[in-house]
Amino acid sequence: MKAFSDYHPLVLLVYFLSILIVAMFVNNPVIGLFALFGGILFCIMLSKRSEAAGNLGFYIPLFFMVAITNPLFSHNGVTPLFFLNGNPVTVEAFAYGVAIAVMVIGVMMWCKCYSAIMTSDKFLYLFGKAIPKLSLVLSMALRFIPMFKRQMHKVSRAQRSMGLYSSKSFIDKIKSGMRVFMAMLSWSLENSIETSASMKARGYGLKGRTNFSLFRFYPRDGALLSVCVVLLGVTVAGIITGDTAFYYYPRISELTLTPLAVAVYAAFGIMSFLPFMIEVKEALKWKYYISKI
Amino acid sequence: MEILHIENLTFTYPKTKKPAIENIDLSINSGEFTVICGQSGCGKTTLLKLMKKELAPAGEKSGKIFYDGVLQEELPDKKSASEIGYVLQNPDSQIVTDKVWHELAFGLENLGIPTEVIRRRVGEMASYFGIQDWFRKKTDELSGGQKQLLNLASVMVMQPRILILDEPTSRLDPIAATDFISTLQKLNRELGLTVIIAEHRLEEVFPIADKAVVMDSGRIIASGAPREIGDKLSEINKEHPMFCGLPSAVRIYNALGIEDSCPLTVREGRAFLEKHFFNAAESEKAELTEIDKMTTEYEHSETAAIEMKNVWFRYEKDLPDILRGTSLKVYGGEIYCILGGNGAGKTTALNVISGLDKAYRGKIIINGKQIKDYKGNSLYRKLLALLPQEPQTVFIKDSVREDLADMLEILEIPKSEREKKIDEISKKLGITELLDKHPYDLSGGEQQKCAIAKILMSEPRILLLDEPTKGLDAFSKLTLRKLLRGLKQEGMTIIMVTHDVEFSGETADRCALFFDGEILSADIPERFFSENNFYTTAANRMARGLWKYALTCGQVVEKCQNSKGEAT
Repeated sequence: MKAFSDYHPLVLLVYFLSILIVAMFVNNPVIGLFALFGGILFCIMLSKRSEAAGNLGFYIPLFFMVAITNPLFSHNGVTPLFFLNGNPVTVEAFAYGVAIAVMVIGVMMWCKCYSAIMTSDKFLYLFGKAIPKLSLVLSMALRFIPMFKRQMHKVSRAQRSMGLYSSKSFIDKIKSGMRVFMAMLSWSLENSIETSASMKARGYGLKGRTNFSLFRFYPRDGALLSVCVVLLGVTVAGIITGDTAFYYYPRISELTLTPLAVAVYAAFGIMSFLPFMIEVKEALKWKYYISKI
Repeated sequence: MEILHIENLTFTYPKTKKPAIENIDLSINSGEFTVICGQSGCGKTTLLKLMKKELAPAGEKSGKIFYDGVLQEELPDKKSASEIGYVLQNPDSQIVTDKVWHELAFGLENLGIPTEVIRRRVGEMASYFGIQDWFRKKTDELSGGQKQLLNLASVMVMQPRILILDEPTSRLDPIAATDFISTLQKLNRELGLTVIIAEHRLEEVFPIADKAVVMDSGRIIASGAPREIGDKLSEINKEHPMFCGLPSAVRIYNALGIEDSCPLTVREGRAFLEKHFFNAAESEKAELTEIDKMTTEYEHSETAAIEMKNVWFRYEKDLPDILRGTSLKVYGGEIYCILGGNGAGKTTALNVISGLDKAYRGKIIINGKQIKDYKGNSLYRKLLALLPQEPQTVFIKDSVREDLADMLEILEIPKSEREKKIDEISKKLGITELLDKHPYDLSGGEQQKCAIAKILMSEPRILLLDEPTKGLDAFSKLTLRKLLRGLKQEGMTIIMVTHDVEFSGETADRCALFFDGEILSADIPERFFSENNFYTTAANRMARGLWKYALTCGQVVEKCQNSKGEAT
């Protein structure tokens, strides 16, 4: 999963935001299904094989839970399937439950992909320009936390070998832990004095600080960005004109198939499977290169 | 051309009477490699910090510092920030950001340099230092040596003309330290960079330096070419305490007082010894009888204080074994030293003995009882204590006294007796004056002593030390050696794990090599080291052609003097 995540952070952010917003707020089964399957495919590409089974075990039950909850509590709709405790369980509520489940799982999948691809440095790069100080502070925090953890581990081991954490009682453990934590506070202060010396020595605080990053905006980033914008434009157009409007209550509406609606489905379909297509294209390209060598 | 000029500099910290440095006159030429040495607390760090105005401590200052002909106060901020580079001691706390590439760019960002230029300069520096393989890594994932190299590179990227380093290798293992020093030498040779370095490990720095400056209690007592330093010190005092910090070749040369040019490296020292004492070599047979006598004369108690029998250990199920059937036997009252390469698992072995990590196979017997039979904390009460690699981690209070009292509280010793106990131990270790200081304000050697004081509170019979000489100057090592010897006299069993060949050669009763998860060839130091070619003391490497079993500078000097006595 290299090709897609190598795009410029701005492009990635625009892409993820459009997918997530459309998937969350457009109540249309076709769009929902595209988002779900696009997300699943993307997730499979991102995750390791060993994780896949565990994920299935989590998401499938969740899907059914969400799908069943709605008809149990919502009794809207005009086509009852059967009665439960004197309340009707309707086809509409059931369908709506499934649609919600599709949406929730789909959005979860996309969020998972988002956090895997938009790493901290990409995020910092995007928002660092707006707030330069914040990006440095975040970067320093990300540096400090693992160091703090490691030192804390060392200190508590040293203390344990000196007889701290003496008994197995809970109170003693908490007391000992507090001792170590207090020591860590003065360690952090001490540490930060040296860090600030090192910052000053390298000219921190001079006027006109710039922000450096490794990211570059290549032509291909521009190309992908325009594709995204065009596809999003088509989708939004369909939503505004109401061509893709869909209702579950009181009766499930029919899927509209006007030319614009079909265009919207096509556009969003392409968008959902974009990372997959890029990945496949790249893989084929490599295969082709290798076979030439 | 003179790049840095210091005139009659005196500096006093607030609330103290005695100046930290006094009447310093120093002139550094462009392209010179200068090493500043002296005991900890002699004012090296203060002097170095004053050289860079951003880091100058608050206090009363008189005298003048000129950089490139301009008075320091009048130097533009940007010029001062970029042209005077400064590398501190601790590799960890100097790193500011989370990614290697960001750290490299940090200084340039501060100078307001545009992205395209930063990209080029960072790229250039990263490839010069061989950083390209870990360029996109997190700074936290690097080893200590890599971290310090990154600190150096992220200063070098600002294109300084003068580089100031304050004990940059004191927290590194010997191999990383040697790498670091040779990088400095390369920068000095290839870029003509002016280097000023304060160092304890003079064995490597002395031969490559153009100039050495020796400081003692805030003053410069000798300065000049490294070859002349020994003679200059001898003029002040034949047995000046600073000698113990100089390279072995210089020490031997000065102790013998032969008219010749002073050797600096092992190679020169060897040539020097062979030139003057070529006919003093002892026959192999005589040497063998002597060493056999030493081996048989080595007395130890019959009972084992610690015994490991086929111990296996790994951190996680899927990770490789670190101890693979390790066995060892340490007798009561012995100083036992485990040497070995970096990451070999020496520290792990110590942690397993101390019960911090649990072996999954094999037996560990402490004082005749298996380690798993010590319930709760009984192992750490009056029996066994471990001094971790960073003595800082031992302290958890705001002063040494509070820390010692805290330890006594944990040991459930009544309040009335605590004061007396603290008094006793601090007199014994000579830390009475340090009791009310904050542990972090102490120098490395002082911290070590106070940490030992704290762990001695539990009255252990067995002391485990992990790299006790890391970051210590020669003088502190001497004190530590005396301390350990003293504890041995009282019947303490000491196991230490170290890289420091010199220290273990002079201190240990028996040494052993840890390799590939096993402990090999435990023997008395004279025999242990003389069988090694590389892993032995500098003095031994110099003299081994003449006297195979001479290990310390003292022993070599003694052999030389004996042979002279015979000749005349």
